[in-house]
Amino acid sequence: MSVKELNISPVGRVEGDLDVKVYIDNGKVTRAHTQAAMFRGFEKIMAGKDPQSGLIVTPRICGICGGSHLYCASSALDTAWGTKLPPNALLLRAIGQATETIQSIPRWFYAIFATDLANKKYANKPLYGEVVKRWSAYVGTTFQKGLTASGLPVQVYALFGGQWPHSSYMVPGGVMCAPTLKDITRAHAIMTQFKNDWLEPIWLGCSIERYLEIKTWDDMLAWVDENDSQRNSDLGLFIRAGIEFGLDKFGQGVGKFLAYGTYLHKDHYQNPTIEGRNDALISSSGFFDGENWHEFDHLKVSEHVKHSWYDNQEDGLHPWKEPLPTPAKSQTLEDSDFDGQYSWAKAPRYDGYACETGPLARVIMNANPANKDHQINDPLFGDIIKKMGPSVFTRVLARVHEAPRLYNFINQWLSEIDLDGEFYIKPVEKDGKGFGATEAARGALAHWIEIENGVIKNYQVMAPTTWNVGPNDAEGNPGPIESALTGIDIEDPTDPVEVGIVARSFDSCLVCTVHAHDEKSGVELSKFKL
Amino acid sequence: MANVLWLQGGACSGNTMSFLNAEEPTVVELITDFGLNILWHPTTGLQIGDQVQDLLKDIIAGKVQMDILVFEGSIIQGPNGSGSMNYFADRPMKDWVKELSEVAGYVVAIGDCATWGGIPAVPPNPSDSTGMQFLKKEKGGFLGANYVSKGGLPVINVPGCPAHPDWITQILVAISVGRIGDVLIDEYHRPKTFFTDFVQTGCTNVTNFAQKVDGHFGKRSGCLFYEVGCRGPLTRASCNNILWNRQSSKTRANHPCLGCTEPGFPHHDLMKGSIFKTMKYMGVFPKEVPHGRTKLAYYMEAGFQKVMPKNHKVMEASK
Repeated sequence: MSVKELNISPVGRVEGDLDVKVYIDNGKVTRAHTQAAMFRGFEKIMAGKDPQSGLIVTPRICGICGGSHLYCASSALDTAWGTKLPPNALLLRAIGQATETIQSIPRWFYAIFATDLANKKYANKPLYGEVVKRWSAYVGTTFQKGLTASGLPVQVYALFGGQWPHSSYMVPGGVMCAPTLKDITRAHAIMTQFKNDWLEPIWLGCSIERYLEIKTWDDMLAWVDENDSQRNSDLGLFIRAGIEFGLDKFGQGVGKFLAYGTYLHKDHYQNPTIEGRNDALISSSGFFDGENWHEFDHLKVSEHVKHSWYDNQEDGLHPWKEPLPTPAKSQTLEDSDFDGQYSWAKAPRYDGYACETGPLARVIMNANPANKDHQINDPLFGDIIKKMGPSVFTRVLARVHEAPRLYNFINQWLSEIDLDGEFYIKPVEKDGKGFGATEAARGALAHWIEIENGVIKNYQVMAPTTWNVGPNDAEGNPGPIESALTGIDIEDPTDPVEVGIVARSFDSCLVCTVHAHDEKSGVELSKFKL
Repeated sequence: MANVLWLQGGACSGNTMSFLNAEEPTVVELITDFGLNILWHPTTGLQIGDQVQDLLKDIIAGKVQMDILVFEGSIIQGPNGSGSMNYFADRPMKDWVKELSEVAGYVVAIGDCATWGGIPAVPPNPSDSTGMQFLKKEKGGFLGANYVSKGGLPVINVPGCPAHPDWITQILVAISVGRIGDVLIDEYHRPKTFFTDFVQTGCTNVTNFAQKVDGHFGKRSGCLFYEVGCRGPLTRASCNNILWNRQSSKTRANHPCLGCTEPGFPHHDLMKGSIFKTMKYMGVFPKEVPHGRTKLAYYMEAGFQKVMPKNHKVMEASK
């Protein structure tokens, strides 16, 4: 029985192809499998090529996180070659990363996520009318303003990188550009426009300074009710509607979080090393096991492939030890055997654990009491995760929480650029191993490179979506989205919007097809795209 | 009024992201003011799953008119011609594309992957990717050299990695307002209106190019052609006239042009020594010279300029 009547109103799709199979018993998802359905083999393409190939190739793995890939690719070469980085270069790289991420906040919130809240599932909720009025695709009153404003921060990226997407302006030893006063002042002006068009009047309903006073969940609730402007801002509405719609009640996931951190400090990373990276970060790295924070060590990262369509690899290898991928035969979702290989995604693990990456992981690391003075120290999500735990709601709140801080950072970093200083120190090329990492808007991204005889011997990219949508590992433990889908209630199996909301709360960089199956009969109830 | 279907194959979504940056017109204005009806798009489409499959089947059956098929990303044919490395809506994407292109009014390939294979097609081309009607410089590609759409044109190639939003929106507008007859295409099927001038046209370093003043990373001013592999004089595109994100361009930001609107990008297939380095004979003579000159003529001209006194362009001041 294939049900054709579907009403999953605008469903966010970003990139690539992911299929999900969920089994539903008595309205509850009992099992879920994710399937990444497209293979291009970028790592294979780079083997044997110029060591700097990653600067051109990897931003083009993903047009949405291209600046983040560039941040990793240049960092991986910095560590492999032992470059020196002038403070200006670190500032301009951080500005590139931050403008890409802040761009993605309204673009993701309006185009991908919030439109789901206009689904008929919530039609009986008091705030539904207001949600529809503002956030319906294209016609929503703030949908268009947010989407339009999202183009502004990447104009700043273009001032320094030439264009967004797909610049290669970050290079080992620094950056290509040497901006002048007029570039800096123009960048300040564009960011101010972003603040005045959207961030303060529409999103916050208050000043950035006021918002950043919030330190606890109780502060946040008090902020919402402080005045009409804040209550009726888009953030105020999201908090009220999110709780009214019960978004805090589902989509928990694995409860373990990993962040590589980002924004290498201008004064603390002029001699790039893998060992010196953690302490040089402004947004800290770490592993949070649900109770405690642990220092991040990239050597604890490994990938499992038992359920992935690759033939030549054993489970649990660190990326430096992983062979280049040899694709196996793939199947459609219908024909897949979920006891065997079923996805192009590998299953990354940290210290053996499946981990959620993304904004929620980042803001949890920001709350780590061990953070240094030059690092973000923001206790808010330490409190929220303790009081509420992970959910669709906390994940989205974490994403949007970053916008005001990033706005301030971008302006601060612009003001710290020394126009008479260096922007690039030409490095000496040599063989070796490198590691570069960052936080893409949607989570932890890293590149591992090995250079031998002046060409790339091995290049491994591990994307945030791989962490989040990866399949089962060798022990049968599910990936974060597989886990977050398990146990959710599906109110209307012909329109399982809950599945879409969970998957989209992770900002999966994939086009997803969800096939809902009845656990007992195996009858396909519905199919839809995420 | 035109019905548009937009699909992605071996894509990074970069052209969609570029498209979303469009101004004059914005994506929304395309719909509200230029009568474009987007039947479906992977990032913004409202239909889902079975509805999309039904839509595709209705288009193929002639029940829904599709004036423009926009394709982003490479056509993935692997492994062994099966296309199973890229399933879409329960079938290999390439099978959908084959049938849809037979009923399309016009087919527009957006970005290097769709036009000539792009980065996925760099050897060893693990996914057996190709472009819609070219593989690198070779005509043919997925649909074959003789393919013409119902509107009488071959695949219209809008290259670039990514394509500039203006190139995308203006081709769509040209079709929707009935000006497709004025769109002339070159030997690589690129609309001449965007791809006749070179990237160097409008480059702020053109004086430094003429006087052979070298540029380098992290410096203000100086031409990037001599040392860091800029392809501006070899690449046809309007980047330096229309600018990117309304602000800048690669060469204005001291970033060498990568030549991404020419078939074959990434050039030299990423071979050692080809990235951000001008490839030279004997460490002196560039292996590739500006378009329209013989190597000998260029070397003589450049040698002459090198020894002439310089009317140095004033190095751009920091403040």
